[in-house]
Amino acid sequence: MTIKYKTIKEIKKMISQKEISNKEVVEEVYKHIEENEHLNAFITLNKEPSIKKSKDLDNNPSDLPLAGIPIAQKDLFCTKGLKTTCGSKILNNFIPPYSATVIENLENAGCISIGKTNMDEFAMGSSNETSFFGNVENPWGKNLVPGGSSGGSAAAVSAGIVPAASATDTGGSIRQPASLCGITGLKPTYGRISRWGMIAFASSLDQAGPMARTAEDCALLLNQMCSHDEKDTTSLNDDIPNFEENLNQPLKDKKIGIVKDLDLSSLDNEVVKIYENSLKEFEALGATLIDISLPNLSLSVPTYYVVAPAECSSNLSRFDGVKFGRRSEDPKDLEELYIKSRSEGFGDEVKRRILIGSYVLSAGYYDAYYKKAQQVRRLIKNDFDKAFSNIDVIMTPTTRGPAFEMGSKGSDPIQMYLEDLFTISANLAGLPAISIPNGNIDNKPTGIQIIGNFLDESSILNFAHMFQTSTNWHMHTPEGVKE
Amino acid sequence: MDKKTVTTISYLSRLSIDNEKEEKIVQDLDNIIEFVDQLNDADTSDVEPLTNPLEKTAKTRSDKITAKNLKKELLEIAPSSNDDYFLVPRVVE
Repeated sequence: MTIKYKTIKEIKKMISQKEISNKEVVEEVYKHIEENEHLNAFITLNKEPSIKKSKDLDNNPSDLPLAGIPIAQKDLFCTKGLKTTCGSKILNNFIPPYSATVIENLENAGCISIGKTNMDEFAMGSSNETSFFGNVENPWGKNLVPGGSSGGSAAAVSAGIVPAASATDTGGSIRQPASLCGITGLKPTYGRISRWGMIAFASSLDQAGPMARTAEDCALLLNQMCSHDEKDTTSLNDDIPNFEENLNQPLKDKKIGIVKDLDLSSLDNEVVKIYENSLKEFEALGATLIDISLPNLSLSVPTYYVVAPAECSSNLSRFDGVKFGRRSEDPKDLEELYIKSRSEGFGDEVKRRILIGSYVLSAGYYDAYYKKAQQVRRLIKNDFDKAFSNIDVIMTPTTRGPAFEMGSKGSDPIQMYLEDLFTISANLAGLPAISIPNGNIDNKPTGIQIIGNFLDESSILNFAHMFQTSTNWHMHTPEGVKE
Repeated sequence: MDKKTVTTISYLSRLSIDNEKEEKIVQDLDNIIEFVDQLNDADTSDVEPLTNPLEKTAKTRSDKITAKNLKKELLEIAPSSNDDYFLVPRVVE
């Protein structure tokens, strides 16, 4: 009995039917981590406490929803007593005195936090090539990037090491790596999941979410990750539905918005073909395609690259070498302590974004860039509000192409920024969106993105699950199709 | 964007730029600013800025102390501290 490539639901069943013990599950995870060391998916392991928790579960079986389920946690979430680096040298000695609310929620539901996954430094990147701890390799091919920033989480799930991982998404950091690694990844509505204890990058865009093999597992995880949290003023106090309830609703008479002003010409031809085939599949399931217009969509990447750096430059001012994290050696005065600690501790991409942020927020440029970007952000949101008056979900390809080679985007940062062309608008508008596997190009997976209306994760999970009941793209693994 | 601007914003950001990387950074930032200049294509007259997707629903909480005093734990993880304070190089002679 192996847990490799198994879903949460399958592992739960194996444990409850005593086909495998909790301890055997955890031991197998660490064996897979060792066998996949070349992926560099993990920064820190949590081995001893995990084995202990699994033994306790064997002695005292639990019926908690995630009892004994091994989950890899993105190294952006604070974990009490367990090193949390955010992929950065400046935090390479940071051991938080508390855990993020979302980590507490998952652990209170019984999960076992196996370790912390590699990621782009401070979640700034789309290929996991900016991590201080080295590149992550995509399990689908040597030298292929897993996407980013949640590259380690995506690779760990894709390689079948764990059935699920936590992740975060500021401009596509869950959906893009999910697409490139052939798994399912969900970014919930802004405010659904508490951001308390998540190391902030761009506070008005950041949102945590699950990565798993199926939409069904994402729904199960989302049920546990959401909560109203007084410690996060943007945490929503709305009713949290049972996200598993609507998974099987027929799609008959449901409406899919297709963005007619989307320029598909810059995409890989095969990606477009696969995308169009998926739309036919949804039509066969009973849904109707409706043309919609999002006229300001093309401005979402430039809007993002003003808003996100501005918020990042102010959030990352807390890393000063004084209160926590790494301090440079022998600074001659306080000013040099700040400058040297930050300059030695941050990598090039993080520095670039802090500088852009300082520029667009500085006197004389604030109105021209920051205010302008926030005005365009409203236009983008208004476009979505208008579109959703008549449809249930919107679909786009998740990315422009499948996984690319490490180093292939060259040294021009804008080429990398355009990776998030289709994903960024959901963050700007605060909307939920999911990426699910929908095809394969030369043994490299592709994904389709389903964007939902505000707070309507249930609809996107419903569409995603129905697609996964009639296709088997989510069963494809780097080692072949799962039985 | 020129060297002088980059020097100013790097000081504002408390970052120092290595000499050999300076030219590349000036070029990168110039390209990024040129890229985001596309925003000028949008007509935003009379459009209110959107700072946060939840602008209408963000809530306050009652003013009750809920946090635990983590002084000891927090001072312990500082690069340099004594029993009561974070320590930095002397500021006042």
